[in-house]
Amino acid sequence: MTKILKTAKKSGIQSAAAGYRRTLRRMVRFSNNSITVTNTWLSETPTVYLVSSKRRAACIVEEQDLSRLTEAVEELARTMKLTPEGDTDFALPKGPFKYQPVEGTYDKRVENAETELIDAVQLGIDAARKEGAVRSSGVVTSRVLERYVLTSEGAEGSDKSTEIAMTIRAFTNDDASGQGIALATSLDQFNAQQAGRTAGRISKLALNPQPGEPGRYKVVFGPSIFANLLGRVGDSVSAYAVDLGFSFFQGMLNQQVASETFTLSDNARLPRSPGSTSLDDEGVPTRENLLINKGRLEGFLHSSYTAAKEKASLTGSASFEASIGGMTPDAHNILVNPGESSFDDLIDLAQDGLYVTNNWYTRFQNYRTGDFSTIIRDAAFRIINGRLAHPVKGLRLSDNMIRILRSVKTLGSERNWIKWWEVNTPTLTPYALVDGVGMTTANK
Amino acid sequence: MDQEFAQLAVSQALRAGAEYAEARVQGDRGHTYTLKNGSPEPVTIARSLGIGVRVIVDGAMGFASTNSLDKSQLARVTEAAVRTAKASRNLLVSPIRLSEEKTWDDNWEAGMNVDVEGISAEKKFELLFTIEKSLAQENVHVSLPSRILVFDEELTEKVYANSNGTKLHGFVPRLSLLYYITAEQPGKGIVQRIHHLAQSCGWEVVDDWRPSEIAAEDARSLGTLLREGVAPPKEEVDVVLGPEVTGIICHESCGHPQEADRILGREAAQAGESYIKPNMLGHRVGSERVTIIDDPTLPKSYGYYKYDDEGVKAGPRTLIKEGVIAGFLHNRETAAELGTTSNGASRSSAYDREPIIRMGNTYMKPGDYLFEELVEGVKHGVYLKNFMEWNIDDRRYNQRYVGLEAYMIEDGRVTVPVRNPILEITTPGLYGSVDAVGKHLEFSGATCGKGDPMQGAPVWTGGPAIRLRGIHLGG
Repeated sequence: MTKILKTAKKSGIQSAAAGYRRTLRRMVRFSNNSITVTNTWLSETPTVYLVSSKRRAACIVEEQDLSRLTEAVEELARTMKLTPEGDTDFALPKGPFKYQPVEGTYDKRVENAETELIDAVQLGIDAARKEGAVRSSGVVTSRVLERYVLTSEGAEGSDKSTEIAMTIRAFTNDDASGQGIALATSLDQFNAQQAGRTAGRISKLALNPQPGEPGRYKVVFGPSIFANLLGRVGDSVSAYAVDLGFSFFQGMLNQQVASETFTLSDNARLPRSPGSTSLDDEGVPTRENLLINKGRLEGFLHSSYTAAKEKASLTGSASFEASIGGMTPDAHNILVNPGESSFDDLIDLAQDGLYVTNNWYTRFQNYRTGDFSTIIRDAAFRIINGRLAHPVKGLRLSDNMIRILRSVKTLGSERNWIKWWEVNTPTLTPYALVDGVGMTTANK
Repeated sequence: MDQEFAQLAVSQALRAGAEYAEARVQGDRGHTYTLKNGSPEPVTIARSLGIGVRVIVDGAMGFASTNSLDKSQLARVTEAAVRTAKASRNLLVSPIRLSEEKTWDDNWEAGMNVDVEGISAEKKFELLFTIEKSLAQENVHVSLPSRILVFDEELTEKVYANSNGTKLHGFVPRLSLLYYITAEQPGKGIVQRIHHLAQSCGWEVVDDWRPSEIAAEDARSLGTLLREGVAPPKEEVDVVLGPEVTGIICHESCGHPQEADRILGREAAQAGESYIKPNMLGHRVGSERVTIIDDPTLPKSYGYYKYDDEGVKAGPRTLIKEGVIAGFLHNRETAAELGTTSNGASRSSAYDREPIIRMGNTYMKPGDYLFEELVEGVKHGVYLKNFMEWNIDDRRYNQRYVGLEAYMIEDGRVTVPVRNPILEITTPGLYGSVDAVGKHLEFSGATCGKGDPMQGAPVWTGGPAIRLRGIHLGG
């Protein structure tokens, strides 16, 4: 990495950040109660981000031959001299920095966990079956990640983390399914049985769904679907999304964007949490960032580029991006403060409404306005007289993100970690009761 | 790129106890150039080179990969693939088998007339600046507060070998131009257009795309929509869909549900299953006007490949013929399970991804109608030229497309713009409503997402304009 920074300097680059990731990932996939494939991935990946005279460039070279990385840096340095200036003059943050490790983010036993993953599949399937599921599908994944960051501005740091995760989707028939999730940084915390039990129990309750009716409902969101929507909130609090014109929070700083019951932060310092880390990809120490406080938008996540452009403080959120942006601000762990209501309280408060457990395929009509729709997936239930009446199917949530955030009425007291195929950023969220949520259905 | 290295991986896997083995050395090198509101964003280079090894041991499948092309590391991953597969065999309901396929020894490529890597970065930015200039307010007559223009090139080289004796070397260059433009009119709101032009070929294609002209046309239509757009009709109407909408429909509600791995439940926990069951070949799902084909071998197409990533030669496959389900997309595993042969639909996005069933270029077969004839046959209706938001449930039955550029049709003529018409409909409801199909075929570039970990596959979606009778639009 030192050599790469020297190459950058020699090529006339003013400021550079070199990163190195060594990853060992394992995955066991299963469907219809049977393992379909085991995967093992080993990779060593250097990245370089260059800043010079209002110009930026980035490369990722996932190749063993380090001369390729040198070539890429030299090519980018030449290209930067030939391209017009960008819109902001800035340099990478001045180091050195002190980094405080985050407690409980590494478990050595995950390094060698192979049979443990297969055992988790068995435990999950058996637990779902016991609850009444006929068949289950899913994935168990482990990851060991070593990171090292070195910048021309004197920042240097590293950390090592582990993650173990399971998604299980249980079916009692084609129309009745439920999902369970387990997510942890250590094997001790990881509970595959619990995920299987949740999936199986929900799939049993989902039997014999009736067609859902379009309309506006009081909706109790389960943690999986609420985390999916919060992921979009996480995208929109990135100052780079604002810069691109893709944020529904554009122009709303210091305004009320959600109801007063809603407080959201991004915290990379939370112990035993899957997205926690001591430094970002520009070598800046991480911190807790309060983003929405009692409904008011307090700030955005920044990299050094967006912070310089918006004259804002760094947030320790820079993340290397191999495509658009090069180095962009991203959330590490999205957290929503819990409320005081139990699940039963929320159903009772809804009185006449819906309880939805999961979703998929969220798409925006317009990233700026926040108009979107998403498909309700797995079990959903009609709530009548404050009780779960019967399962429903065929619904699509069609609404606006700001309207939903402003209509959050009550939050549950229990929180769950969510990360799965549809939720990239680890998210700790309670159940949520939201008023007047639009639901539509196919009409032919 | 070394064929012997792939062969070595196959030999090592067989020696370690695999009954079947395949190895793919894959290198990808890409450049991305971005202009944001007239200001250059970072040029990025993404390169990867590595090997993925897939094995079957006692009926269990294992995959392992590394980006180190070192022999000792190769031995480590090959051994890991075999060891983990073996360890999983006690949780197999039935052993995995692969269909018998012809073996090949071939060297293939999608050629470049003008090598895109030989074109300077200045020239590529010049392309983006020319488009930017065409979007000036005096040219498009609407304010565009956000304009993101992205030119992307990705060159993929693969060496493949399997224990059946197939040996392949392939090369595909892929170019794409993607733009996001946001138009705003005070008091009228904000609309966004995302447009993707993409092909497998060299720099020579860029002029053919007419990007400045197309982007300016898109921007002008957004302005007209904001200024003059009316609410969509609430009553039942006839609907004409433009080729871009027909294409996404064919991809989402024909291509995906006819992927055999979904039908058999292998993707249930992620991309989902299908409303189609294995015994539904011959089942009617649309009108006789509807024939849908997936063909990865269309020359210069974005989804082009000659052989898939299991070494099976690709060709056109008819998915729906005259409204009836005619075939599924197969890899060797699903083909064996359903007693047929693979039709070469197994693709992998990188060296470290297992091959899974994917589309190539999916489109509706053109019919006999000129666009004007489709419209002439509508007394009261809506024309959806293109779309913005869309989604579909995970059994591919209940789908929604929200029109962006759209117009009323009155007495056989396209008239005023319509804001946000929503087509929300079931798959048989949609295909069963098609009463006329245009004769002019067009394609759009897209990146299809599937798999865990996610694999983005370059595809074309296509079709002619089509006409649907008796539709209730939401919005």
